[in-house]
Amino acid sequence: MSDRRILVVDDEIHIVHVVAIKLRNNGYEVVTADNGAQALEIAREEMPDVIVTDYQMPVMSGLELVKELREDEKTRDIPVILLTARSFAVSKEQQEELQISTCLSKPFSPRELLGYIEDIIHAKELVVEG
Amino acid sequence: MKSGRSLYLAVTVFVVLGLFSGAAAVLQNSGSEEGWRFAGVQGLGLVIPVLFAIGAVGVIWLGWSSFRLSGIITSTVAWLQSGRDEAIDSSANRLIEAINASFDASANQAAESEQHLMDSHIQIQLAHRQQKNTEAIIYSMRDAVIVIDEYDRLLMANEAAGKLFGFDHKDSHRKSISELIGRQCSQFVDLVISSKKSKARATRREIDFSPAAGKDASATGRVFDCVVSCVFDEGDQICGAAAVLHDITREREVSQMKNDFVSHVSHELKTPLASITAYSEMLADGEAEDEETRKEFYSVIQNQAKRLNRLIEDILNISRIESGLIKVSKEQASLTMLIEEQRQMIKSYAEEKNIKIIGQKPIVFDQVRVDKDMISQVIVNLLSNAVKYTPAGGSVRIATEVDEIEGVARVTVSDTGVGIPEEEIEHVFEKFYRVKANDKQAKGTGLGLNLVKQIVEKVHAGTVFVTSKVGEGSTFGFELPLATREPAAVA
Repeated sequence: MSDRRILVVDDEIHIVHVVAIKLRNNGYEVVTADNGAQALEIAREEMPDVIVTDYQMPVMSGLELVKELREDEKTRDIPVILLTARSFAVSKEQQEELQISTCLSKPFSPRELLGYIEDIIHAKELVVEG
Repeated sequence: MKSGRSLYLAVTVFVVLGLFSGAAAVLQNSGSEEGWRFAGVQGLGLVIPVLFAIGAVGVIWLGWSSFRLSGIITSTVAWLQSGRDEAIDSSANRLIEAINASFDASANQAAESEQHLMDSHIQIQLAHRQQKNTEAIIYSMRDAVIVIDEYDRLLMANEAAGKLFGFDHKDSHRKSISELIGRQCSQFVDLVISSKKSKARATRREIDFSPAAGKDASATGRVFDCVVSCVFDEGDQICGAAAVLHDITREREVSQMKNDFVSHVSHELKTPLASITAYSEMLADGEAEDEETRKEFYSVIQNQAKRLNRLIEDILNISRIESGLIKVSKEQASLTMLIEEQRQMIKSYAEEKNIKIIGQKPIVFDQVRVDKDMISQVIVNLLSNAVKYTPAGGSVRIATEVDEIEGVARVTVSDTGVGIPEEEIEHVFEKFYRVKANDKQAKGTGLGLNLVKQIVEKVHAGTVFVTSKVGEGSTFGFELPLATREPAAVA
């Protein structure tokens, strides 16, 4: 369907696995990382279209990853979807300030996640076409 | 008066007798010339009685007159006297009454003064007793208490306050609190003074305490709940203030630990639940294309359900052990056999991280009398912890030894992991505690090691221990009484 690349970041290997299968089944190219630091490195190299990241991870958390991305001119516009097992982990203000597209609470539906990713991709395509 | 009347009576009697005798003599001589003669001859025979009678009458008159006169005089005197007496009596009475009234008033006043004095004395005693009671209450309080007057000078302080602010609480009376405390905690002094200025009945604020060097260093970094109550006099004017400082550092820590626990547990519960939900949906949506993938998905769901169950069991077990409600089933067991079983269970997890678990060959004899399930839980928790905090390529060594001298079987789990900072070692077995430096290294609820401690110490009368060096690794272990040393009756 598309050659869109999605970076999936979570220290929970089963979550990474299931999201990757869902996205690959729907035509996306998937790259993975198990912590924020590793993800930052990959993001700078691979320039994914969307990043799906967990909030709480060892080494570098999801929130720290987003902050780092926004500070780098190269990665500042990459849309991010944050997965979190903690309610109210990120405030509305924080979400707006860091330009986090969506916060999804765990447990989440892979189908719903795919829908959000498609919306972002579609919006990006419209911007490019426009 | 009586003597006058007696005299008059005697004279009267005498005159009457004279008259009767004169009259008798006249009558006796009137019948004879001789008689008369005798009287006439003499010329005095009739005259004498008459004169006597006249004299008698005169005497009587005089007597009567004098009697009357004396009576009058007496009466007059009496009247005068009585008048004067009455006047004197009246004046005297008034005087006496006035004096009496004065005496009465003085007496009443004196009685009132005496009563007042007694009341004052009682009041002073009561006030003194009340002060002593207040002092006893204040001195026995663990919270720091400081009472100041309208000029911000110290009236009273207890030992806790003296210790906290570094002054002698018995020798600081009437000293300014700014001088006594200002340098150690200006925040507190400002609060007291501003509370007085605002005239608020009570002001409450949390104060982070950071005393100057050389004072109570243990108070550094502590948080106090400070309540300042203004004292008002009869005219509703502020005449002082009382401040109570309650140390809430521990409450804060406990509250923070509980919040962290809820946060960690909810995360830990939601993570396997997230996998179960996602994989179930994938199966339902037909995203597992072949049989092998489907089997893989089923397996993930099953394992995550088990993980969820283990976590819930951990929480419940700690709760049950703490409340003494857990059912314990002890039997003779070989620790090395239990270790071997758990080593096999953790093997795949260690291999995933490329960590080698080094054990020893099982010694097939029953050293201890334990609840096998519980001790297996202890071993698996120690092993998984060691693997969790050991970087890839490291190793975990587990060993058992029997110390006949001490009468214990000892199990140690050593890793080549990140280690624990010295200041945090004493807390690692506390419930919900997570080593801050290692928080990013791996996830956890802070329950695993606490469960180890509860099972070993509370259920099996053993002990847990830990040694660690940052960057080199840690050794966790436990000791259990040998079966031979334990009373057989223990179930």
